[in-house]
Amino acid sequence: MGTETQRTAPTERSGVVSRASTWMENLSEQAYAYLLLAPAFLLLTLIAFWPLFETFRMSLYADGRGGETLGEFVAIDNYVQVLTGGNPFLPREVIDLSLTSSFPFVELGEPFFRQALLVTLSFAILSVIFETLLGFGQAFVMAKDYRGRRWFRVAIILPWAIPIVIQGMIFYLMFQPTVGFMTEPLQAIGVFGGSPLSTSRDSFFIILVADIWKTSAFMALLILAGMQSIDRSLYDVAKVSGASRWQQFRMITLPLVLPALLVAMLFRTLDAMRVFGIIETVSSCSTVPSMTCLVVETMFSARLYASAATVAFITAGLIGVVVSVYLIKFRDTERGAYA
Amino acid sequence: MSVEDRPDPTPADGDDEAAGPFERWVRDTIRNPEKAYKAMFYTALIFFLITTLFPLYWLLMVALSGETTQDVGLLPRGFDPGLLLEGDLTMGAEPGVFVNVFTVVPFHRYMLNSFVLALVTTAIVLLVASLAGYVFGRLQFKGKTPLLLLILVISFFPPAAFFIPLYQLFNQNITPFGLTPPELFNTPAAMFLPFSALFLPLSIFILTTFYSQIPDGLEDAARVEGTTRLGALFRVIIPLSAPGVATAGILTFIAVYNEFFFSFLMTDGGPENWAPLVEGLIAYQGQYRIRYDLMAAASIVGVLPVAILVVVAQEKIVSGLTAGALKE
Repeated sequence: MGTETQRTAPTERSGVVSRASTWMENLSEQAYAYLLLAPAFLLLTLIAFWPLFETFRMSLYADGRGGETLGEFVAIDNYVQVLTGGNPFLPREVIDLSLTSSFPFVELGEPFFRQALLVTLSFAILSVIFETLLGFGQAFVMAKDYRGRRWFRVAIILPWAIPIVIQGMIFYLMFQPTVGFMTEPLQAIGVFGGSPLSTSRDSFFIILVADIWKTSAFMALLILAGMQSIDRSLYDVAKVSGASRWQQFRMITLPLVLPALLVAMLFRTLDAMRVFGIIETVSSCSTVPSMTCLVVETMFSARLYASAATVAFITAGLIGVVVSVYLIKFRDTERGAYA
Repeated sequence: MSVEDRPDPTPADGDDEAAGPFERWVRDTIRNPEKAYKAMFYTALIFFLITTLFPLYWLLMVALSGETTQDVGLLPRGFDPGLLLEGDLTMGAEPGVFVNVFTVVPFHRYMLNSFVLALVTTAIVLLVASLAGYVFGRLQFKGKTPLLLLILVISFFPPAAFFIPLYQLFNQNITPFGLTPPELFNTPAAMFLPFSALFLPLSIFILTTFYSQIPDGLEDAARVEGTTRLGALFRVIIPLSAPGVATAGILTFIAVYNEFFFSFLMTDGGPENWAPLVEGLIAYQGQYRIRYDLMAAASIVGVLPVAILVVVAQEKIVSGLTAGALKE
C-alpha cells in the first residue's frame, strides 16, 4: 500500500502541478496578485478582521446582564456614553478610585475613561520623548567604528529582545521594597511613597523607566539606519568649510535623519498607546490604568463586553488619528528633504 | 543624550598657572576638540552599557542571594562562592537555584512550548508573507495601497479587541455558518494562529522591501528560459532574498517569544496544554511561598535563548528592523 502510493503519487501530482501552472500562466497580473495574496488575507480575515468586526458589532449593543453577554441593540450609545463619561459602569465598578487618586495628571473622581486616556497619552508622550533622546545617543555610539562595536551593539539590542514578562519581572523585583535596594533610598529622598508598586504615580514612572529601558534600542536602530544612509561626502564638505560638530549635526544629520526618526517615533507611539503587558507584570492595571488596561479590566473583571469593545474601538480610532497626523507630517518632511 | 553632551565641557576656563593634570587636560581639549569628543564618546558608551546591562546583572544577584532575599545590592547577599566548588545543589544553596528552577516548576517544558510555538509561527509567517511580500514588492495591481493600509490597521487595535471572538471560536461557543469549529483552546493552534496573523504584517513589510530591491532582469531572464511564474518566484526571487527571509524569520521568532497577551490567555496555564514561557514564570508566584531568587533565576534562564540569538544574528536584526520600517 505504502509503496504503491509512493510510486503513483509523483506522476499524478506533476499532472496536477502542470495543469495548475498552465492555469496560473494564463492569469492576468491582477488575478495572479490576488491569488498569491489569498493565503495572507485568509489568515488575516479569520484571525484579525473577523474578530475585529465581531468586536465592533458587540460595541453596538448594551452590556449584558445576568449571564447574557450582550443586551439590546443601542447603536452608537456606548460610544457617546464612554466619551462623555456617562457610562454608569466604567467609573465605579472597574477600578478602585482611591488607588488612582495620587496620579499626577488626574483629579480624583474624574470619569474613568478620561483617566485611562490621560495615563495613556502621558505615557506615550513621555516614553517617546525619552526614547528618542536616548535612541539618538545610542545610535551615535553605535555608528562609530571601534574595537568591540559588535558587542556593544549586542548589549544595546539585548533588552529589546527580552520577553515582556521577564522585563516585568526585573522591574517588579527591583522596586519590591524587600528585595530591591533602590526603593528605600528613593523613599528617603521623597521620590517614592510607601509602596511604589501599588501607588499610581510611582508605578507610572517605574513602568516608564522599564519601557524606556527595553525599547530605546528599537528607536536607536532606526535612527542608526537613517544615519548610515547619509552621504559621507556631505560631512567632508562641512569639515572643509569649518562647520563645528554641532553645526554638522544641526545642518546635516538632523534633517536627513528626520524621515527615519519620524517612522521610528510613529512605531513607538503606536506601541506605547497600546501598552499593557509591562503594566500587568510590574504593578497591575488597577494601579496604572492605560486604555488597553481599561479594555481588559472591563472585559475580564467586570464582564462588560460591550463597553470593553467600545473602549477598544475608541483606542484604535485615537491611534488612527495619531497615525494620520504622522503620515501627513512625514509626507511633508520627505518632500522637504528631497525637493 | 549625546545631543545634550554637545556643549563643550570647559568648567575650568578662567583658572591659570596651577597646571594640575586636570587643567592641563582641559586646556588640551580646548585646543583640540577631537579629544573632548572622544572623551564624551567613551562616557556615553559606558553610560549606555551600564544602563542597559545593569538590570540583568542585578537579576543575577537576586538569583544568587538565596531564599531569604533582602535588599539585594551590587553583590549577592549571603552568597558563598565555596558552594559552587563543592557543587552543593540542594534547595536553598544559592547555585542550586538554577537547578531548582526546573524542579519546582517544569520550566523546561514551558520553554520547549515557547520554542515550538515560535518555530511553527515563524514557518507559517514566512510562507504566507513570502507570497504577499512578492506581490506587494514586485507586482503592479489595483488596490495595492488600500490593501497595505488594511494590514497596517491591524496594529492600531489593542490585543484585547481580537480576543473575545477568537476565544469563543476556539471554545466552540459560536458556530459560524452553522459549522462547529474544532476545539482549539488548550492546543498550540490557539496560540500560533493568532501569533501568525498578528506578526504577519511586520514580515510582509520587511519582505516587500527585500523583494522590491531585486532587479527585474533576473526574473525576466528566468521567465524567458521557460520557468513558470511560481517557479521564478521560488527558484529565483526567494533564494536571492534569503537574507531578508532569514531576517523576517528571526524577528518573528523573537516577537512570538516576547508576546504577552495571547500567551497568557489562550491556555489554562498547564505545561501539557502548550502554555508558553509567560505561564512558566507566573507559575512561580502561585506555586510557592514567594521565592524571589527562583523568579530571578527562571528569568535569566528564559533570557538565554534570545540572548544567544541576538549575539548570533545581530546584523540580521539590525538590517531587518531598518528595512521593515524605512520601506517607502
